[in-house]
Amino acid sequence: MTDEQLIAQLKQRDKKALATIYMEYKTEFFKFASRYNAKNELLEDVYQDALIVLYENAMVGKLDHLKSSVKTYLFGTGKFMLFKHFRDSKKEIIADEDYIFDKYETAVMEDVFDDEGPNEYQRQLVTNFKKLGEKCREILELFYVQGMKLDEIRIEQGYENKDVVKSQKSRCLKSLKNLIHNKDE
Amino acid sequence: MNKEELINGYFEGSLSESQLAEVENLCETDTDFATDFEFQKELQQSLKKDDRLEIKQLFSGLNNQAAQAEPKVIRMRTWLAAAAIALLVGLGSWLFLLNGSDVNTDDLYAANFTPYDNVVHPIERGNELEDLQTQMFAAYEAKDYELWLQLTEQLTTKQKDGYIDFYGGIVQMALGNHEKAIPLLQGYIDADGELKDRATWYLALAHLKLGAIKSAEIELAKLVQMGSFKTKAAEDLLKALD
Repeated sequence: MTDEQLIAQLKQRDKKALATIYMEYKTEFFKFASRYNAKNELLEDVYQDALIVLYENAMVGKLDHLKSSVKTYLFGTGKFMLFKHFRDSKKEIIADEDYIFDKYETAVMEDVFDDEGPNEYQRQLVTNFKKLGEKCREILELFYVQGMKLDEIRIEQGYENKDVVKSQKSRCLKSLKNLIHNKDE
Repeated sequence: MNKEELINGYFEGSLSESQLAEVENLCETDTDFATDFEFQKELQQSLKKDDRLEIKQLFSGLNNQAAQAEPKVIRMRTWLAAAAIALLVGLGSWLFLLNGSDVNTDDLYAANFTPYDNVVHPIERGNELEDLQTQMFAAYEAKDYELWLQLTEQLTTKQKDGYIDFYGGIVQMALGNHEKAIPLLQGYIDADGELKDRATWYLALAHLKLGAIKSAEIELAKLVQMGSFKTKAAEDLLKALD
């Protein structure tokens, strides 16, 4: 599969593409990262986080005009995240940049790095979210997870105009709030 | 730009500096705005975190598969290796004496495995099979498991209902690919699928077939505790394995 095909699949939230990339570069990444003297468990964490960053950035279109390969992007991300681990544990490593990430991409890395899993409220939000109808789940995921603009959702989902999408989205949010509210009572 | 548009613009990343400042200002001065804005940010964060969890489960499933497929290469000092081998031989014969003769996991598996009925996707005969999932379940009912796998390839994550993994797991078992069935069933159970008890049963059988008796027992015990599906059969199997 070519890089373009993989990226196109990632944009569709196709996790099989992610699994393919995971298997494809794992050994090489561990070899590449071995010079930093990190334990295998840490490398596994970093590698998984780097793939999540790759996936999330691909989803919002950051890899659409990728000049390098998926591998370079992945390894650059992995290195960045590995350095973050070291910086946090006060070990100094001088970075040579293979890939220049923009502010948004770096923010995603920070966010994935800091993610310690959902808290109780967030878990409850997701549980209730899953109770919503398919249309609602779809529109909210496209907007909040895939980072699509309302206009793009209108085109993709074939809504009449942007206002319809807007009011559909706000109706769905309201249903979600109701679900959460009812549970509290 | 009204408040709703401001919030939407924030998530679309299309606000100007001054509009961003306005959002910040409203968050401090307008409680309703702040509540609404925070709720949407929280939702975004929750959905992303949930997605990440799912991905990590996928990866650990892949690692488990790989661990079963290829034995790990371990570098050992020679004397340590010799000691380890001696220990393994000893342990192996002990295990063989203890379990090998009386438990035949293959027979137990064969006596218990039948593909689960399609209870999720009714197929109306005569209708055109246009929808991909309908085609898949038609293949499933016809026991054409290879076709099911081919069709799965075409299914994008977005179209995929949760129970596809459950049935996909059974398909892999029916084809003899038990190591492929495990992550599918496990994923379905972890996602709290509606047929979770059923999936646990099949997961136990998959472990059994692979000779992972301990894992099979753990799943069977969970099933007995659920008490909603195959409780008796699970208890019998546990006794047979004991």
